[in-house]
Amino acid sequence: MPAPDPSPAIHLDAVSCRAGGRDVLDRVTLNIARGSVTGVLGSNGAGKSTLVSLITGLRRSSAGGATVLGEHLPARGTSLRRRIGVVLQETALYEELTAAENLQFAASLYGVPDPRRRIAEVLDLLGLAGRAGDLVSALSGGMRRRVAIARALLHDPELLVVDEPTLGVDVDARHAIWSHIRLLRARGTTVVVATNYLDEAEALCDIVAVLREGRLVAYETPAQLVARAGRCIDIDCEPDAIELVGQAVSGLHGVLRVDATPSGAAVFLHGDTPADEVVRTVLREAPVGGFRVRAADLAEVFHALSAAPATT
Amino acid sequence: MRIAAAAAWAGMRAEALQLRRSPLVVGLACVQAITFLVLVSLFGLTGSRAPTGLVDLDHSALAEHLVADISAAHHSFGLHRMDGRTADAELRRGNLAAVITIPAGFGAAVVRGDTVAIPVAVDNVDADLTDDVQRALPSAITAFGQELGLANIRLRPAELDLVDHDTDFIPYLVISALALDALVVSGVLAALAVAREFEGGTARVLALSPVHPLAPIAGRVVTTGAVSLVALLITWALVVVGYGVTPTHPAEMALGLAGCVVIFSCVGVAIGTLIRRTLPVTALVFGVALPLYIDSGSLEPERFDGNVIWALAHFSPVYYAVGVLEDAAHGLRVTPEPAWLDMLALLAWAALAIMVAWRVLRRGVTA
Repeated sequence: MPAPDPSPAIHLDAVSCRAGGRDVLDRVTLNIARGSVTGVLGSNGAGKSTLVSLITGLRRSSAGGATVLGEHLPARGTSLRRRIGVVLQETALYEELTAAENLQFAASLYGVPDPRRRIAEVLDLLGLAGRAGDLVSALSGGMRRRVAIARALLHDPELLVVDEPTLGVDVDARHAIWSHIRLLRARGTTVVVATNYLDEAEALCDIVAVLREGRLVAYETPAQLVARAGRCIDIDCEPDAIELVGQAVSGLHGVLRVDATPSGAAVFLHGDTPADEVVRTVLREAPVGGFRVRAADLAEVFHALSAAPATT
Repeated sequence: MRIAAAAAWAGMRAEALQLRRSPLVVGLACVQAITFLVLVSLFGLTGSRAPTGLVDLDHSALAEHLVADISAAHHSFGLHRMDGRTADAELRRGNLAAVITIPAGFGAAVVRGDTVAIPVAVDNVDADLTDDVQRALPSAITAFGQELGLANIRLRPAELDLVDHDTDFIPYLVISALALDALVVSGVLAALAVAREFEGGTARVLALSPVHPLAPIAGRVVTTGAVSLVALLITWALVVVGYGVTPTHPAEMALGLAGCVVIFSCVGVAIGTLIRRTLPVTALVFGVALPLYIDSGSLEPERFDGNVIWALAHFSPVYYAVGVLEDAAHGLRVTPEPAWLDMLALLAWAALAIMVAWRVLRRGVTA
């Protein structure tokens, strides 16, 4: 049995991409380990799709170097494409063909040996065996997404790049797609997931790269990101008391910020700041109905990172 | 290479499946080819056989002789005998273009050598039709005079025919319409097949695959070309059966039509790639087709329309297509260039169209 390749699946070294006179990716450096699931997180226009296009060879960098599965980009020849599976943001299926016919077509493009058997395998893997003969136009959004994933898996790629895997799908389909991606990770496939959904990144990813305005602002595990964001005190109070809460805690050590919430206010604390003093001060200075201390969730982390100045 | 061939085959097969599941599109494409025949036939009919009332108040043998000569005036009159009152009413209702009245005593006056006035009432709502009536009637009377050896008729046209047979207007039009059919049917089907790849995002999927994306798209266009060719063959069969036009050179006809399908499929590929949306494709193909069709010798040999228009026509493949098809169908030379040169130009256009379409598509897919 060959030893696992220790080199990263993807290595980006100060990669930039320019479009429309601006850097849509700006000196991004990161290593993605083989066999991991990596989330690329960012709001619309942050550079996620550009990063996906760069990795998959649809786009060239304007500066910096990139290596994917040991091949420098732009790759010569077609050998790298045989090793990558891509699920684009749009499902990009032929609506007048059945799910199986779409896969048959894709199998021809990749020269998949014994395509009939392989198509049956991937359809089964994605729970589509019973819908193989259905026209794509008759499938739901979630089903189409799964057909698109099945197509990307046909040639058994080492690297699967998925742009917005659960865009526009219902809750059940979302969880089904997540479980397929987890299954792939268990089989050793490297997966890159570009997503807008924080819970998706938290549920799926070993590590998350956060992009803002084309720059990489964080590249850590979801747990590290949450720890970095510290703790949060949810305070139940009337809307007119939120300002009092803000004034009360503004000078205290370790307080990062105060956000208004539907139930009152949320006070964010730096990682090692004790909550006791803050809670006591709030109870003394403002009419408060109750409070709860908890860890910050990824949404709050992302919000904080997005608001912070970008770094390279 | 083997995978590229497999991908092209897969493209052909996928397109065939998609077209099979869109029978209305394919059916209307074939019907469209036939409706163009109907269109040009109706167009041809508007320029000939003006409905004309004939009121014979004389009923003599000479009057009958004149009526026969008027009927024979080349495609000018569709004569309907009627009485004077009905003729007048029909003319005012717009059902007749003209009313010719042969006055009582016409035959006797001709025998005496007297001048006879033949009243003609014309509905001059359409100047073109009025001109036709005005031109055709003197020629019919001249023929009448010559046949009777009347003393005052001195005109004697000495016609030298370039072609050993006459070709009627509508049979001429339906052959040039085959070029228009090829342009529209091949262009629309190919443009739709390519635009769909961009519209649905599948062009990006092709670009990500290890095979060159042009291979499967080329396969698709081969299928649309085959469907177009079938549509044209059906239309051609209708021309043979319905219009009685049996081609003089069937092989030349087949090669000409195949060349048209290749060229206009490539035009469709370029339009589909540049527009990238299916909705405007049909309108744009029509927009491109009509000027090319009109400036191609489709209605008459193009050189009759003036040197500038004729020179411009040389930049259009339809000009050479009409030259080839009219030669193949009727043995007519409608271009000053020989038929073999038209065929050569058509094939050169096909080669050029393939190269241009390939280049446009390659840039479109890899951009």
